[in-house]
Amino acid sequence: MSAPNVPPQAPAPMPNPPAPAPAPMPPAAAAPSTELPRHHVHHSYIWLESVRTIFIIAVCVVVANFSTIIGLVAEEGMGAEAGFIMAVAGIGTLVVILLTFGIVAGLRVVGYKHLYFTVGPDEFTLCSGIFNKKQVHVPYQRVQSVDQRATLLQRLFGVCTVSIDTAGGAANKAVVVPYVTKAQAEWLRAELYNRKNALAAQAAVASGMAGAASATATGMAGAGDPIPQSVEAGIAAMAQGAATFAGNVPSPAAAGNVLDVGAEAWNQVGGVFAGPAQDTGRVTYEYGLTNKELFLAGLSNTTSVGLIFAGLVVGVLQIVGFIFDVMGDAADGAVESALVFADSQASAYLIGAVSAGVIVLVLVLWVLSAVGSCIGYGGFKARRRNNRIEVEYGLLQHTFQGIDIDRVQSVVVKQSFIRRLLGYCELSLGKIDAGVSEDSSSQKNTLANQGIVIHPFVKMNRVPEILAGLVPEFADLPREAKPVAKVALRRALIRRGIIQGGGFWLAVVATLCLAGLTWMGATGTAELLELDSDDLFLLSIGWNVVIVCGYGLAAILLVVDLVGAVLWARESSFAYNHRFMQVSNGGLSRETVSFPRQKIQFGCTKSNPLQRRAGTDTLLATTAAGSGGTTTTLIDASHADAMAWLDWLKPGGNQ
Amino acid sequence: MREMPANQLNPRIKSVWRINDAIWIAVSFLCCFLPFAIIALVAPEEAWAGVVALIVAIVFAALLVLCVVVLPPIRYARWRYELTPDYLDIARGIFWRKRFVIPFIRVQNTDTRQGPILRAFGLSSVTVATAAGEHEIPGLGIEEADVLRDRAAELARLAREDV
Repeated sequence: MSAPNVPPQAPAPMPNPPAPAPAPMPPAAAAPSTELPRHHVHHSYIWLESVRTIFIIAVCVVVANFSTIIGLVAEEGMGAEAGFIMAVAGIGTLVVILLTFGIVAGLRVVGYKHLYFTVGPDEFTLCSGIFNKKQVHVPYQRVQSVDQRATLLQRLFGVCTVSIDTAGGAANKAVVVPYVTKAQAEWLRAELYNRKNALAAQAAVASGMAGAASATATGMAGAGDPIPQSVEAGIAAMAQGAATFAGNVPSPAAAGNVLDVGAEAWNQVGGVFAGPAQDTGRVTYEYGLTNKELFLAGLSNTTSVGLIFAGLVVGVLQIVGFIFDVMGDAADGAVESALVFADSQASAYLIGAVSAGVIVLVLVLWVLSAVGSCIGYGGFKARRRNNRIEVEYGLLQHTFQGIDIDRVQSVVVKQSFIRRLLGYCELSLGKIDAGVSEDSSSQKNTLANQGIVIHPFVKMNRVPEILAGLVPEFADLPREAKPVAKVALRRALIRRGIIQGGGFWLAVVATLCLAGLTWMGATGTAELLELDSDDLFLLSIGWNVVIVCGYGLAAILLVVDLVGAVLWARESSFAYNHRFMQVSNGGLSRETVSFPRQKIQFGCTKSNPLQRRAGTDTLLATTAAGSGGTTTTLIDASHADAMAWLDWLKPGGNQ
Repeated sequence: MREMPANQLNPRIKSVWRINDAIWIAVSFLCCFLPFAIIALVAPEEAWAGVVALIVAIVFAALLVLCVVVLPPIRYARWRYELTPDYLDIARGIFWRKRFVIPFIRVQNTDTRQGPILRAFGLSSVTVATAAGEHEIPGLGIEEADVLRDRAAELARLAREDV
């Protein structure tokens, strides 16, 4: 297993190790791919990954042997014999670890030799595999987005993992190039986008000419929905956008936050093998998070909110238990009441202390998780570079997402309940997500799976400015909103309050419990269970407390549901103009989705018998965002509006 | 209500649906029915097993009548499609009535499929796939399906490449 440490790049085709006859080149190896320069990944692919594997194995071995050694020591005492055995065990473990390291590193070396990518005229090719050769071809036009991620370890050495998302294919997996230096990654990203744009421009010129020819032939000027804008027009618009926003690029110092210092430091230091920074285009708009935004984003993180809620529930349960206990004790016979009182006080203190401890623990956990997500958002930057949108974040584990403007499927303005109370929202872009292929280590990020978050926590009145800077293409969104039908309010109250209403069903369950309890009391099940009257009394008090609490919670939930329904009916609407469609769904949390007409894959209206009687329809517009498409739904638009929308959906229906 | 799409499926599709549903119902009936029937046969003293088996049998008989006699004609009457030069229009559904508009410029690929039952009746189904899911027009005559597929493919070919 002493494979020679081969220097990284060897442009000449590798000789096949097992083949004894080196002279005749097999024709397969002389395929066109050999003409292109083969780019190998960075050599940290070999040792960084091996070190990681070794670390895991070492931990496993130590854990597995620990108990045995401890047992030996306990049995024999710390004699010379035990020392000898332990020495043997230690040496054996070391040998095992070294051997595994050798095997893993050797495999990695061989794998490294066979892992390379080429950047051809029409497509990007990634070749991998030692025995099972695998070649993945990605035509440039199919590239949806190019992301790069780096774990802390990778970041220290200035390498990252590049994943190229493509559209289509049954599995729709991302192509993952592991262990690329930062410079190489940036070069690759720029190269992929440039070549894609060059191809797109060629195609656009061709189709534009064809379109013009057919338009003159049929005598229909500007026919067809896809708007075959000439390349010049597009570039001119872009230049204009750039000129408009070049002036007010906020300086990082003005809109920075405390963690930006750390991110800056990272950028300065870069990492051991990072290489010089590449120039990948001109930035026309850029922003970060302010201190306030960063902390609010961290605090309102969903997991931390969940923690708070869980903590509250636990605390309330503790307190209920405590009250129950005190009441139970107080209800005991009057003779021993003094004694019991002292006792109950002690136990009350104990329970109080326990519940306080739980609450403190939850608070600490919450603070930790908030700090964690602050660090996760640390160094957040969103920028517009040429016609790409780039987002990067993460102080320790770094993620960089880049997407071409014409791959943006939708713009989503989401207000969760907390954000809405504060007048903030979350901004994100919908894109076609790819499943991550199996060989990438499962470093799933919560942010990466819901499109691209371009701002986690922003004041509502800053949204137009950000959108105008980042995606000026979404400038002329439709204005005249068509609200849901009048009858939608009634239907929403019934739907949200009763059919899907948690409060209503909780009340039903509580009522059933009460009925069951009364029945039990009536039939005298208690006597059968041989409970004495005190216990029965306690039991009934406990049950009553639970049921009263259940009814209280049900009432609160019902009110929340009903308020949500009223808000929904007031605020929900849809709108469309010749280029865009916008759907707003209101309620306690609000979401507004805007998408270009071109990105609507298909539309559908749906109605059940009750809706037909009320004269409403449900609109469903499906775009390709996410994995497998995203359907934006608006319930209970009026029938006339829905039919007009269907007409609009037809090609040429926006004229 | 705006006018419905013009074309209906081939009437033979009703028989295909009947056979398909009957097979599924029969299989799931056996899975649910046999255990109880065996218990009832082996251990006659367990009276409940027989009762359960009877209930299962009644439920499945009702389901069979519903799926074989009642639903297919309604489903057939409600299933309409139309292929205009630009888009595919589908209207279907009995209770939840759906109306789809699928522009051909968004169609990624089309194909025809034929299972053994469809083949026995000389039918095939056309599937139109977009980047966000596919739509099936079941039960067209084979030649009709081929024409439809070619036309959908031809129109889809004119679509812009990117998503």
